[in-house]
Amino acid sequence: MVERKIAIVAQAQIHSKDMPVPRERMLFELVKGLFDSVGITRHDIDTFVLCSNDFSAGRTISNVFEDTPVGAYMKDETKVEADGVMAATYATARLLSGLYDTALVVGNSLGASQFRPYLVMDYELNPVYDRQLGLINELSAGALQAKAYMDEYGLTDSQLDKIAARLLANAAKNPESINDDAGATPEDVAASEYLYEPLRRLHCYPFTDGACALLLAAGDKARELTDKPVWIRGVGDSLDTYYIGERNLARSRSTKLAAERAYKMAGISDPAGNIDVAEVSAKFAAQEPIICEELGLFPEGSGGEVADKGSAAIGAAMPVCPSGGALGSYAFCSAGLVRIAECYKQLTGAAGDTQVAGASTAVAHGQDGFCLQHNAVMVVSSEEG
Amino acid sequence: MAAQDRIVVDNAVVPLDFTYNYRVGQSMEKFIKGLGDKKILGVKCSGCSKVVVPPRQFCGTCNRVMDEWVEVGPGGTVELYTVGHVTVEKGLVEVADAPSVLALIKLDGATGLLAGEVEGVEPSGVKNGMRVRAVFKEPAEDSLNDLDHFEPAG
Repeated sequence: MVERKIAIVAQAQIHSKDMPVPRERMLFELVKGLFDSVGITRHDIDTFVLCSNDFSAGRTISNVFEDTPVGAYMKDETKVEADGVMAATYATARLLSGLYDTALVVGNSLGASQFRPYLVMDYELNPVYDRQLGLINELSAGALQAKAYMDEYGLTDSQLDKIAARLLANAAKNPESINDDAGATPEDVAASEYLYEPLRRLHCYPFTDGACALLLAAGDKARELTDKPVWIRGVGDSLDTYYIGERNLARSRSTKLAAERAYKMAGISDPAGNIDVAEVSAKFAAQEPIICEELGLFPEGSGGEVADKGSAAIGAAMPVCPSGGALGSYAFCSAGLVRIAECYKQLTGAAGDTQVAGASTAVAHGQDGFCLQHNAVMVVSSEEG
Repeated sequence: MAAQDRIVVDNAVVPLDFTYNYRVGQSMEKFIKGLGDKKILGVKCSGCSKVVVPPRQFCGTCNRVMDEWVEVGPGGTVELYTVGHVTVEKGLVEVADAPSVLALIKLDGATGLLAGEVEGVEPSGVKNGMRVRAVFKEPAEDSLNDLDHFEPAG
């Protein structure tokens, strides 16, 4: 239980298949736009948390040229080199310290035009073993995890295609999606080429250029900045062992632990009953049931049934990724912030064609590493609690 | 922002061509030397009795030093596998000349699974539970590649 209350008061996103401006210009326009929409300047921000990666930026201290365009120069600024949910968690902790009243979190990467996401992932592999052998890459590891869940719980190929098609149909309604295959049917998914079985191209996240900014504020400051603050009610984070041969890939122990921590803080005892909408970072469609089950949104092993019954659809009892999730766009670092931003849109009634009616509590999930090694969970609500 | 023609001049294509020379550490040194003798060496944790390959110094589960060396394999069982239709080299995805089989294999005597390629069998013939055997490189080159691949056994 925390004394200080922290809220999200604004969000801004930008996505592209080929960003027409340099990274710094993209960040300036994004953040300036957010400041103007709220009616503040950079001087109203007490602490900045940037979220980017040296490998994806192609230079050391990736944030060094981000400070200026986001207005952080000569201000309190720090960086998280991991997923955006972890950066937002860190910003929340900084506000909870009582030293600051406002925080701006900005994540970005240009995985479509500037670098190869699978190569950056290769640099997360053990350099003296897996990186030497070249057997494990993000796709082959994702396929092994998909197969693990399908073997364990009987999810079929056609049910997996339905999961991807639901996400791609949602993505088609979200202006932030950059996926050319948004709107694809299960048949289209089934007709896309195999990469590593059972993964087909349309089961996978699209390479994305993108950035996302979240403005966080504490207590009265949040109420002053907006009529519709979305309160951060709980956060949790957990990191599993690196070795995929020593984990049960059909499950994600660290997602479960992260969720338990976030739910405990938020006072959530019945996730499936208490949560109205979820935005999870399933980079491959087959990760979605694993994540959702560890978040307690669906029973263990129910992925096939959920796909057949449409239980995760926008109009269903437990909507998952109305935005299209990672199949609409997935820019490293920024991606987790986008999941939170989409929850914020849902809870402020600003989600347009993807709006879940009456949503008041949401859960966002972010990940880093291979096969869901590192997971972070954030519970947000329009109710202050 | 609308897509438009992007100008990437030659000097804005930024290579990052470092080569690093890592010492592999004592556990991996012993493992690599073992492969040269056609032996797959794992380490056993005295606390949780887990036997892991590749070996490492500390048990992630109970944080003990793992210093009991155990020979595992060369036989093992396919626990999980994927058939690859592409290759991923330096992050670039290309269609493979022929499908390949990547498996997580439980070597006899080990508790953790080791990733390896399974050759000498049609991909459609691979099943979970299939028995395989390690094939070593001849002559040995004292590298991780000495454990070349796995093939169906018995």
